[in-house]
Amino acid sequence: MKDLIYKEFKLALHPTSVIFLTFAAMLLIPSYPYYTAFFYSGLGIFFTCLTGRENHDIYYTCLLPVSKADVVKARIVYAVIFQIIQVIICIPVILIKLSLNIPANAAGMEANAAFLGLALIMLGLFNLTFFTSFYKNILKIGKPFLVSGIITFTYIFAVEAMCHIVPFFRDILDNTDKNFILQRITVLIIGIICYILLTLAACKKSVNNFIKQDL
Amino acid sequence: MNVLEVKNLCKKYPSFTLDNVSFTVPEGSVTGFIGRNGAGKSTTLKSILGLVHPDSGEAVFFGKNFTEHEREIKQEIGYVSGGSFFYPNKPIKAVTAVTRRFYENWDDSLFKSYMEKFSLDENKTQSQLSEGMKIKYSLTLALSHHAKLLILDEPTSGLDPISRDELLDIFIELSREGTTILFSTHITSDLERFADGIIYIRGGRIADQDTLSGFTDRYKAVKLTEAEFGSADKALLIGCKPAKTGYTAITLSKNADKLPGEISPADLETIMIHLEKVEQFHS
Repeated sequence: MKDLIYKEFKLALHPTSVIFLTFAAMLLIPSYPYYTAFFYSGLGIFFTCLTGRENHDIYYTCLLPVSKADVVKARIVYAVIFQIIQVIICIPVILIKLSLNIPANAAGMEANAAFLGLALIMLGLFNLTFFTSFYKNILKIGKPFLVSGIITFTYIFAVEAMCHIVPFFRDILDNTDKNFILQRITVLIIGIICYILLTLAACKKSVNNFIKQDL
Repeated sequence: MNVLEVKNLCKKYPSFTLDNVSFTVPEGSVTGFIGRNGAGKSTTLKSILGLVHPDSGEAVFFGKNFTEHEREIKQEIGYVSGGSFFYPNKPIKAVTAVTRRFYENWDDSLFKSYMEKFSLDENKTQSQLSEGMKIKYSLTLALSHHAKLLILDEPTSGLDPISRDELLDIFIELSREGTTILFSTHITSDLERFADGIIYIRGGRIADQDTLSGFTDRYKAVKLTEAEFGSADKALLIGCKPAKTGYTAITLSKNADKLPGEISPADLETIMIHLEKVEQFHS
């Protein structure tokens, strides 16, 4: 598996995946829908898969002494590495933002631990919808991105709406009040668990889809 | 001993069916896999390499079932496909650096010797290479891990005659060194230089498998004028088709003396062209 991951970074990596990591700095913008920063990580993965198709990446990889299942797993691990790095980069960015006493976010949810948890659920949903669809037909890369885009943006709208309507979201999660830090960390933990479960489900279903697929 | 045994491979597509394909590739042999475009050559090769998911049947390499021993079997085989190149805009050395990690028997000195032999510059990208040089690079990758079986899928398609000839010389050299080669092509003249056996696939079915001489000795080429065609026993003519003057066909060698016209030895191309005509002629 480590050789396949090496291949992902040495050959398959699209430069935008690295550039989009810096978009974590968007969390410093005073008023901005911060989930957008995480949407870009999905865009980087999409570009990697798109250029992979043009470079016959899957054909090349499947001819190496590896199983088809490992081909899928390596690509998902590659995506997970970028997603986790982006979440980790967000932590100091959030701490810097808090130290600067920037006014509350008027355009969306506050950047805090709960936000990271909810963003992780969004990333898990992206993995589930994008990869399972992509590995059904590796030649049709637009449809998986469209489907995953619709799902993730629907999720973003739903969460942002709840931050206005649902009292728990509005009063406890969508602020930086230190009194509710435990609740927000709980949401972060739930987010981490959901991300792991959704990504594992994405991996299992994608492997099954890919094994059945004819190249 | 057979290096490869394909048993009852079936794959159904809406417009094409691979029907019960079975054949063998003996150790140390060069086996030509011939058939017209769309006959099922690439689908067969993809099926035996796990790229296509067959409905039934199995491929046994070195006595091991491919599905059960995929990784270890892939360590022992090299695959070269004409017209399908990976990461064409990456430097060759980057593609090599990745590829070599996957093979337990990767031999750096062998790789370097082939790179020198083929005059390949590892700082170039594949897109900067000619078609012939691209094939040579693919071949270098396939040979540098001491592959026991080389599977060549239309490696000479699209090459100029000189490049084709150069590649064939390399394949001949490899076969003399004892490498087993399964050579899929529709350019049958390539095979006449060095193939031991022929597998002929037609419409998704194996129509014939024999030694090269067994295959070519079975038929004779027949050239008939209009008058000779009129008097000939049509039942003895196989795949008869009009020529500039008169008709051409093949016939079984045993029937050659029963026919009028010009009878000559049949080459693979002539045999394949006329066998492909059989249905049309009788209909």
